[in-house]
Amino acid sequence: MNAKLRLAAVAIATSLVLAACGSSGGSDESTTDATATTGAESTGPVVIGSTNEPTSLQRNVGGSSGISETTTRNVYEGLTSIDDSGAVINTLAKDVEVSEDGLTYTFTLQDGVTFHDGTPLTSKDAAWSVSEIISEESQAARANDLRVITDIATPDDATLVLTLERPTQSLLFFLASVTIVKDGDKENTSDNGTGPFQLEEWVQGSHMTLVRNENYWGDAAKAEEVSFQFYEDETAMNNALLTGQLDLVIQQSNPDQLAQFEGNPEFVITEGNSIKKFVWTFNNKEEPFTDVRVRQALYKAINREAILSAVWGEYGQVIGSMPPVSEPWYDESFAEIHAYDPDAATALLDEAGIDGLEFSIQYVAGDTNEIIVQQIKSDLAAVGVTLNLQPIDDATWYEAVYTNKDYESTLMDHNNPRDVLWYANPEFYWQYDNKDVQDLKVASDEAATEEEQIEAIHSLSEIIAEEAPSAWLFMAPQIRIASADITGFPADKNAEPFYVAQITRTN
Amino acid sequence: MVRFIALRLAALIASLVLASAVIFYVLRKLPGESAGATLGVGTTVDQLDLLRAELGTDLPVWQQYTSWIASLFDGSTTSFISREPVSELITSKLPITLPLSIAAFVVAVLISIPLGVIAGVYRESVVGVVVSALSQLGLAIPVFWVGLLLVWWFALRERWLPSGGFPRTGWEDPGAAITSLVLPVVTIAIAMSSVMVRYIRSATIDVVQSDYIRTARSLGYSMWGALARHGLRNGAVPVVAILGIELATSLLGAVVVENVFALPGLGTLLLTAVTGRDFPVVQNLVLLLTVVVLVMNFLVELLQRAIDPRLQATSAAGASA
Repeated sequence: MNAKLRLAAVAIATSLVLAACGSSGGSDESTTDATATTGAESTGPVVIGSTNEPTSLQRNVGGSSGISETTTRNVYEGLTSIDDSGAVINTLAKDVEVSEDGLTYTFTLQDGVTFHDGTPLTSKDAAWSVSEIISEESQAARANDLRVITDIATPDDATLVLTLERPTQSLLFFLASVTIVKDGDKENTSDNGTGPFQLEEWVQGSHMTLVRNENYWGDAAKAEEVSFQFYEDETAMNNALLTGQLDLVIQQSNPDQLAQFEGNPEFVITEGNSIKKFVWTFNNKEEPFTDVRVRQALYKAINREAILSAVWGEYGQVIGSMPPVSEPWYDESFAEIHAYDPDAATALLDEAGIDGLEFSIQYVAGDTNEIIVQQIKSDLAAVGVTLNLQPIDDATWYEAVYTNKDYESTLMDHNNPRDVLWYANPEFYWQYDNKDVQDLKVASDEAATEEEQIEAIHSLSEIIAEEAPSAWLFMAPQIRIASADITGFPADKNAEPFYVAQITRTN
Repeated sequence: MVRFIALRLAALIASLVLASAVIFYVLRKLPGESAGATLGVGTTVDQLDLLRAELGTDLPVWQQYTSWIASLFDGSTTSFISREPVSELITSKLPITLPLSIAAFVVAVLISIPLGVIAGVYRESVVGVVVSALSQLGLAIPVFWVGLLLVWWFALRERWLPSGGFPRTGWEDPGAAITSLVLPVVTIAIAMSSVMVRYIRSATIDVVQSDYIRTARSLGYSMWGALARHGLRNGAVPVVAILGIELATSLLGAVVVENVFALPGLGTLLLTAVTGRDFPVVQNLVLLLTVVVLVMNFLVELLQRAIDPRLQATSAAGASA
């Protein structure tokens, strides 16, 4: 309940900000001209800037967030989806029936759905797409979560029946990441989507163009054409927005760039919740991080408020456990558990018999991370701990830290929905092994109701908050900047897809 | 001459084989692997192994090397990440990078030859000193910074030119394509001409101070007349060498500049390939650049021999000895 209220509050706050921007624009004479000029170009495609380009159209290779951000829900649809508020909704499934024991899910498909090449959608296509992600060859990040499915049946063209090994509350959530393509297809193409947009072209390193699907089974998209323009360099992207080459930038990752848009009536800046958490993780299998007191001391030694404000100023939210604000098991009070307290940190280190501790932090080099590690380093120095900075690049992080677990501590931003559950996996790179946490994960899966599930994951999040296998720093704000005549995009990011069917240009 | 070309060709092939091995080896020594970078957080060790087997990165290094070399001959090298043929990726970027480098080179030559000669001839007057100082400045300022400055003035402030990007329809609209290349071309040209001015200046000084110019002038030629009659050919030999190298480096300059101007060319391709450890793309691109540099050197040598027949005599003597 609490979380919903908070969401509503954020929504209201956002709309107030929007209204404020709008009215300040109207009061200025020179703005009217600007709006008139942009209005004249309103027929063109909506062009969206992003630094997160898809890597491949191949299905079930990794968890490329670029492909789901641009195409899931827009071009390729799942049986279910996660909507902009973070709720699981039916999409290609018109109806889902769950058996009493929670082991059988019967999906009835929507009527009259056709693929973009005109072929009608049948349950065979859905069965193929689900079987593909759980197959032995699947390299999809969600494969293991879905391998609870033991049988896939298609009694008729409109019905799909999934049988599970054990009940799981998360099935419909995980199915949202499984897009349905034609029976046998291993690649996303211009032909095999069912969404409100059809993929027209993707020119690697440049752009991806989507055109409206005029035969869409649901409500048609508002814009005739939407395209994503990809950038390596954020400055280049913002320059393009400033000069009118772009209509919208999905995400700003650097607050320094905001100043040039603030107070400019031609642009609207929205701030919402994200699922991007900055996490300083200890190698829980390495001395001295095996000692819970050491981890707690290190967590208490750092001033998260100061770190967040150094990076983002007024924006963002300090967190004390993995869940971001939008997840139903988020709890504000987690942040208080190991609130900034250098004296308590020193006392805990003494108690653990640790003196003159020195260790390293591996982090992906970049402006934001650089600010964060410098702050951590000076906070730790104040309690007599020496931190050695080891900047690396992304690919090295995956190999050294993620795969080989060869590190002492590391800083990483995590972007996956519900990734708090990874603390129940002792094999995961943080190597945190806690039976209670693992039991709670199972309990959350097997929960009979959603409330029970929420409660279990809440308890899990609380245990880790207490035990500090990682030091969660803050949730980054989702900051988008749009040309003032663009509406219909969500301020929050609660799931990977960026849904563009409601985006339109107003005059 | 035939013997010379045959020798150079053999050296060229030997260099390429060596270069390919070095490129391959160095990339394998780089920390980080493509499989991890592709799959991302959330995947399991088993899935990594599956992908490694699919890409062939689990094979012994020599075997990976030989299969890469084999793939060069039938053009079947494919990207680790997008799984597209590398040759297609590269050719799709050429319509941007090639005009960019060549135009930058031409502009740089047009700027630096007159400036370099002026700086050399009037090296002790104000004009010469100013040109020299400007070229020093051009050398000292990083290329990307020049780019940012140009963007700020011409795109953000004056709105005369686009801040970056390339038309999606490519060269179908030549006007739009050309305007989007103006700032990048100027940026590379500034950096390149700074280097070239300095070489041309010192080549000019050598010529101006030479005995044959003094003799020519004592015979009644004006300074410019003497330079035109005797200086050009003599001064051209070292200048052609540096121009050849610069033409090759203009391709490398594109790597930095394409990033600043968000141009989807070879430079951007190389950058994303390195970041993602997409080794086949990096290997083929770097090898291609090596070929360009080596071939350029070869052409420069031929050109120098055509300009100065004395070179032919010496190398012929050297070869027969």
